[in-house]
Amino acid sequence: MKLSDDQLMEAVARLYATYDPAPDDLADGVLARLAVEDLEDEWELLTLVERIDLTSGVRSADDVVTEGDDATVALEFAGTSYRVLVRISTVDGHRRLDGWVVPAVPMKVSLGPAADVHPHARQQAEVDETGRFEFPSPPTGETRVWLQPQDTDKAGAALPPFVTPPFLI
Amino acid sequence: MTMHEAPGGPTSTALYDVATDAFRRWRAGDETGLDDLVRVMTPVLWHVVRACGLDREATEDVVQNTWLTLVKSADSVRDPQAITRWLCTGARREAWRVSKLATRTRPVEDDVLDARMPLQTSPEAEVVTNDESSQLWQALGRLPERCQKLLRIVAWEPRPDYTSVAAGLQMPVGSIGPTRRRCLDKLRVELGGAS
Repeated sequence: MKLSDDQLMEAVARLYATYDPAPDDLADGVLARLAVEDLEDEWELLTLVERIDLTSGVRSADDVVTEGDDATVALEFAGTSYRVLVRISTVDGHRRLDGWVVPAVPMKVSLGPAADVHPHARQQAEVDETGRFEFPSPPTGETRVWLQPQDTDKAGAALPPFVTPPFLI
Repeated sequence: MTMHEAPGGPTSTALYDVATDAFRRWRAGDETGLDDLVRVMTPVLWHVVRACGLDREATEDVVQNTWLTLVKSADSVRDPQAITRWLCTGARREAWRVSKLATRTRPVEDDVLDARMPLQTSPEAEVVTNDESSQLWQALGRLPERCQKLLRIVAWEPRPDYTSVAAGLQMPVGSIGPTRRRCLDKLRVELGGAS
């Protein structure tokens, strides 16, 4: 059987894809690297000021809320313009994350896995007028909170967004 | 198509439309456009850079850097239809730069051998045990190295730029088209001889 040019070329493409394929995780690695680059370029990274274990008698590894027991942990983050308190509580096995931003300004809040490179897949919430926000069913594992102020400064420029370092839920 | 633009294979033609659309969406503010562009073009860049003779590890670095460069200078790509060429040409230039910097140059024979050996870890490799594919793979392996590289590029790269491909293969621009034809003919002959 004589193959046409197109058939041959398609077969050649398939052969190389089979015998010398790009690593399966290469595209994911690229996207993760681009996400980090994006963060470094545009997002102010908050720093963890304090971790407060609000439940007496509960022992857990750093930044980890243990499974099963009722537990509450608060993490306080600070940046140049804002302070953010994140509280992770587990009651009867149900986990919840809420928090406050000081000063309170309108913000969009996103919550998602630290390594997730798909911003559209993150959970979304908004800061209310008192500065509070809540995620009733946060994901587990290494997580970050992204905050985007919706106000503009006096010159009309958008206020810079900021993000917490990764923490474990 | 300009005079210096090679007709790609059917695979690369389909990729071209998907990549162009994804880039347009990304530039219009849709972040999923960048995801799609990276997923569809990363394998293409892989084959383009591997055809430059870089080993797998160096190829991964070149592919990563190509994407970083794009994100930093996406504004310089004025025409979405130029995105695949922008990426492939950029990756090829970076590949040359890296291979010139490399203190130890891997012998070409190793690389060609690599490409001929089925990767034991790849599940796909086990699928391609049927006669037709392995005959074609062996036939491809009997072609001159330059033919193997050129066919790999035009099979994967959407609308490749002859000038850049020619420079990479150290051939005159005008000989790419006729060489591509001769290589395909040789491949047919090799296949005929095998059956």
